[in-house]
Amino acid sequence: MKKRIRIGVDVGGTFTDFVLVDEERDQIFTGKQLTTPSDPSAAILDGVARLLSDAGLSPTAVDNIVHGTTLITNTIIERTGAKVGLVSTLGHRDTLEMAKEIRYDLYDLFIESPPSLVPRFLRESVAERISPDGEILLEFDEGGFKNSLRKLVQEENIEALAICLMHSYRNPVHEQLAKKIVSKLYKDLPVTLSSDVAPEIREFERTSTACANAYVQPLMQSYLKRLDKRLKALGHDGTLYIMLSGGGITTVRDAEAYPIRLIESGPAAGAMAASYYSTLTDTKNLISYDMGGTTAKMCLIDNNRPDRKYDFEAGRVRRFAKGSGLPLKVSVVDMIEIGAGGGSLASVDQMGLLKVGPRSAGSQPGPVCYGLGGKDPAVTDADLYLGYLNPDYFLGGQMTLNLEKVEKSIEETLAKPLGLTVLEAAVGIHNVVNENMAAATRMHLAEKGRDPRKYDMIAFGGAGPVHACHMARLLKLDNVIVPLGAGVTSALGFLVAAPAVDYVRSYVARLEQINWEYLNQLFCDMEDEARSLLTEAGADNEDITFERKADMRHVGQGFEISVPVPDGELSGSHVDELRLNFFDSYRNLFERTVTDIAIETMSWRLAATAPIPNITLNFKGQKGSVDSKLKGQRSVFFSETGFAPCDVYNRYAFFEGDTVEGPAIIEERESTTVMPPGTRAKVDESLNLRIELNA
Amino acid sequence: MVDLGAKGAGERFDPITLEIFWSRLISIADESAAALLRTSFSTIVRESNDFGTVLMDANGDSLSENTGGIPSFAGILPITLKHFLAKFPRETWKPGDCVITNDPWLATGHLPDITMVMPVFWNGQLVGFSGSIAHSPDIGGSLWSADCRELFEEGLCIPPLKFLKEGELNKDVEEMIVCNVRLPEQVLGDLNAQVTANQVCGRRLIEFFEDSELDDLSLLSKSLLTRAETAMRNAIEEVPDGIYHSSLDADGFDEDETHIECAVTVEGSNIEIDYKGTSKQINRGLNTVMNYTHAYSAYPIKCALDPLTPRNEGSYRPINVVAPEGSILNPTRPAPCNARQLTGHMLAGVIYAALAQAVPSKVIADSGSAPSMRAIFSGLNPKGNRFTQILFASGGMGARPTKDGISTIAFPTNAGAGSIEAFESVAPLIVWQKEFRADSGGAGTYRGGLGQVCEIESRALEPLQLSLLSDRWRHPATGILGGLEGAKSHISFSDGTVPHQKSRTVIEPGIRLKMIYAGGGGYGDPTQRERGRVCEDVKNGYVTAAAARSLYGEGG
Repeated sequence: MKKRIRIGVDVGGTFTDFVLVDEERDQIFTGKQLTTPSDPSAAILDGVARLLSDAGLSPTAVDNIVHGTTLITNTIIERTGAKVGLVSTLGHRDTLEMAKEIRYDLYDLFIESPPSLVPRFLRESVAERISPDGEILLEFDEGGFKNSLRKLVQEENIEALAICLMHSYRNPVHEQLAKKIVSKLYKDLPVTLSSDVAPEIREFERTSTACANAYVQPLMQSYLKRLDKRLKALGHDGTLYIMLSGGGITTVRDAEAYPIRLIESGPAAGAMAASYYSTLTDTKNLISYDMGGTTAKMCLIDNNRPDRKYDFEAGRVRRFAKGSGLPLKVSVVDMIEIGAGGGSLASVDQMGLLKVGPRSAGSQPGPVCYGLGGKDPAVTDADLYLGYLNPDYFLGGQMTLNLEKVEKSIEETLAKPLGLTVLEAAVGIHNVVNENMAAATRMHLAEKGRDPRKYDMIAFGGAGPVHACHMARLLKLDNVIVPLGAGVTSALGFLVAAPAVDYVRSYVARLEQINWEYLNQLFCDMEDEARSLLTEAGADNEDITFERKADMRHVGQGFEISVPVPDGELSGSHVDELRLNFFDSYRNLFERTVTDIAIETMSWRLAATAPIPNITLNFKGQKGSVDSKLKGQRSVFFSETGFAPCDVYNRYAFFEGDTVEGPAIIEERESTTVMPPGTRAKVDESLNLRIELNA
Repeated sequence: MVDLGAKGAGERFDPITLEIFWSRLISIADESAAALLRTSFSTIVRESNDFGTVLMDANGDSLSENTGGIPSFAGILPITLKHFLAKFPRETWKPGDCVITNDPWLATGHLPDITMVMPVFWNGQLVGFSGSIAHSPDIGGSLWSADCRELFEEGLCIPPLKFLKEGELNKDVEEMIVCNVRLPEQVLGDLNAQVTANQVCGRRLIEFFEDSELDDLSLLSKSLLTRAETAMRNAIEEVPDGIYHSSLDADGFDEDETHIECAVTVEGSNIEIDYKGTSKQINRGLNTVMNYTHAYSAYPIKCALDPLTPRNEGSYRPINVVAPEGSILNPTRPAPCNARQLTGHMLAGVIYAALAQAVPSKVIADSGSAPSMRAIFSGLNPKGNRFTQILFASGGMGARPTKDGISTIAFPTNAGAGSIEAFESVAPLIVWQKEFRADSGGAGTYRGGLGQVCEIESRALEPLQLSLLSDRWRHPATGILGGLEGAKSHISFSDGTVPHQKSRTVIEPGIRLKMIYAGGGGYGDPTQRERGRVCEDVKNGYVTAAAARSLYGEGG
């Protein structure tokens, strides 16, 4: 097998993270650089150059670079994208703004709807109509369309155009005609067709996706072009790949056409890393738990891979309130994200109860203990007070934490109003945030019909290993895995992802009434598209595997469930198999089946994947020499013991086969593992801590 | 301020334990709701959130309710349960029992809503109840219509009966229901979905007992109810004492126009809403039983005064609602009540008009989306499949003290709108238009939300059945504090005929039905509206240039 050097780059809001895997020398190098928001490629170039110099490599030695970014999310949240025009079917000009006509908070009279990406004066409509069966009811009005176009381009100076016509997922002919006209008249205007970016039934979600794609496209196109050019100028002659929200990687060309599919590329990397560890540690079912500064993300890894879902909500105007953002029909890793991070703030609510989050101190001013002006106590402050964090070894000693200020803040803000001691309040913060995360995880498991007891947990992110054992106990799990270098685990995900892509076509039909010829053609088209894209992304044609699924439901229901669909040519003889598959999936989710009601299909999906790259994890190059495991002792609080002296260890001194008994604190640069009494950890061959919770 | 009671009255729980326990109980109700929502066949459950799940203690008091459910239900379930307990005394309940009813006077005010309750046992003791309410896909009788003259026409009435006995299905009850409804599989499917939801709730409650080491819920319940009650009382105390009057007229049924008279009395931490002087009950399905009247009176109070705290029985204790017996807000059996939402949704507007005199910064103008306007289509599609489809769409919400009303948003109910593509895929209907209605929002310093216009053509081969439920043809949503009224609603056919606003009729092939939804009322004097906002409205076509000139004195 060809040895390779690969680099993963994750552009985050604050930091750009780098990981380099040198398979030749079996080594991993990591780096961090402040993100340069005005031109993120600047930080990337600096970081790549530095990483190569650390590794003693030349740019030409790099086979490929895999890139993920939060730029798209930020562009949508900050509303800094292009001026977009939208053309809809006559009579449906307001689909985008009417949305689902629902209030996301039942009791708040003052809720704000998320502002439309395209305001009404930039929304035009064209006379045309296609029926749900794809039949043309009204011909496309070319003259009217040209007038609308002239108005949007010449009077309003739009920078991108989205087109979403009724039932275009079923018959895209009018959208395609419109695109032809645009490219003839205004060839430089980027156009997004809803039937290209999200060929799925439900006009609001499809319109929203098309508009969001158009909204971020000009920015992403120029950014990716510039990045590619500058990497080439640096001497890099390999390929640049882009991470998709679903956890696969794709080409720059594809990313430029559908940038909205990159929206969750950062979080997807974390889930891919967790999948990799799931294989590495031979743990089939894992709860991936990534807790950082502002949020905690939980994702289920089943049979070594994360589930995906096919819708996502971006830019929520009220953080974490379902329904307060823009729905996008894109394939994303199925995870939950809640406002529980190291910076989440504690407060007393109107009921006189202790609340934690979702308000966050962020990095400015940060928790009280940073001493940068933070007034209200945050989770990190409680962790410090309870002895879990080392005031002198935060981020490997780059930062000193101020315990005195924390004590005062907890006293004033919480303890006094609640009539508690400072210790009780600090324990309260810790317990409430753990319970919040456990409750969200429980809910996620329940919605997917899964039993928590079948899962182990993998914890990473700065705060993940601090809270992992407590939270896992609330979920009644038995085992927790803490990988070495938990702070960079997420970035590793870029290097263990494979070229992969998801396609979808909506076709609504009762099982008994399916037109099989039409359906086979849909799958055929999707496979052709997938092959051409994945081979371009470096996969061998014969290595590509396909997986088919259908979104199905009982007639009368409003929610579809995902059902496996057999490979090969489909025909009426597959009806029974599809029905049984539907019943199986239904039972798994809802523990019962309904047999007397007809079944209908809504959408058909194809997932195409190339094999996952095989890399070994060797952090040996990272560790340096460490003499003694035991760093010392400090007073640490556990509910079983109260404040008591607890051993503090150096993570970098642990080797395969080493064991440690809780209570114990194990410190590494970017994170700290907290082991309560009654736990025992053993170090495995990849230097992961394997913690048994009920030892 | 009322003492928060953190250490009061022998409370056993500290504020951290209580927070953790309470969050847990709410997530139990939410999990139960998720199970119900995802397996339900009823479009009404799904699109208009017409369901609820509630966790109750052994006394039958509610401890927690699902976050997204319809507000009326959480307050009603405990009342229904107390009726159940009168018939089936506490000591007779066995694990696996499930009691069902849809009696409007015992439960939620019309027959389509099914209430089901199951007991939860821990260590052999009855420790609580799990309950759910959901709008059934069918209940026999007259479909969803407003024009019946007696309860008996409106469908099957199920008195409190055991649907399950110790986990075993009561076949007699099942057979009785199956024989009386149009869509038996779907109706049974939804009853099963409710049983599942109740079981999920029960299982999670048992896990909670395992984790919390509590023996029963009584002390916890007392603490939670007290906390919620205290929060509400604190909120009411901020309202100046006084008696505030208001009244409202609605279209009613033909010559029977509906008049609602409302007096809100605030005294200390108590609030009483008295509907003395309201119209007598009528022999059409617009009557709202006391349970429903109470629920739709308490909800707007909670929104205005104490929106942020979680809810349980305690939240509603300081609110007393009185309506004269035999009135449209407290009818006597067997008054028809199938479309009781057409009256009940109006209560928020009349209560806010009264409270505007006391706390103008906390209430909103009347909503054009109250009551919800519905068209229910049923028949055969060209493939021969039977369908019933409801067009979900809303008028405009009333303007708010600091913001415009939201366009096409329901209030006080929270019915959403489904996808038109999905709607057209299962019914032989084409929606040619579904767009904002310019100039429909009442003018004001803050403008009422816009209504919309929907135009639907039948492509069926045969005439389709059509049931219309609407109001506000004659009485628009009123503005407050100088704001103007929103535009009225209307319904017509493309052949020029006008159907009855609350009727069962047919729509012929090729005919288009035009539904025009009302706008919300305005808040404050229109001439005080910021000039920039008026210009933006004109630029976006929410307000026409002519209307801007006449209402706001702007050149546009």
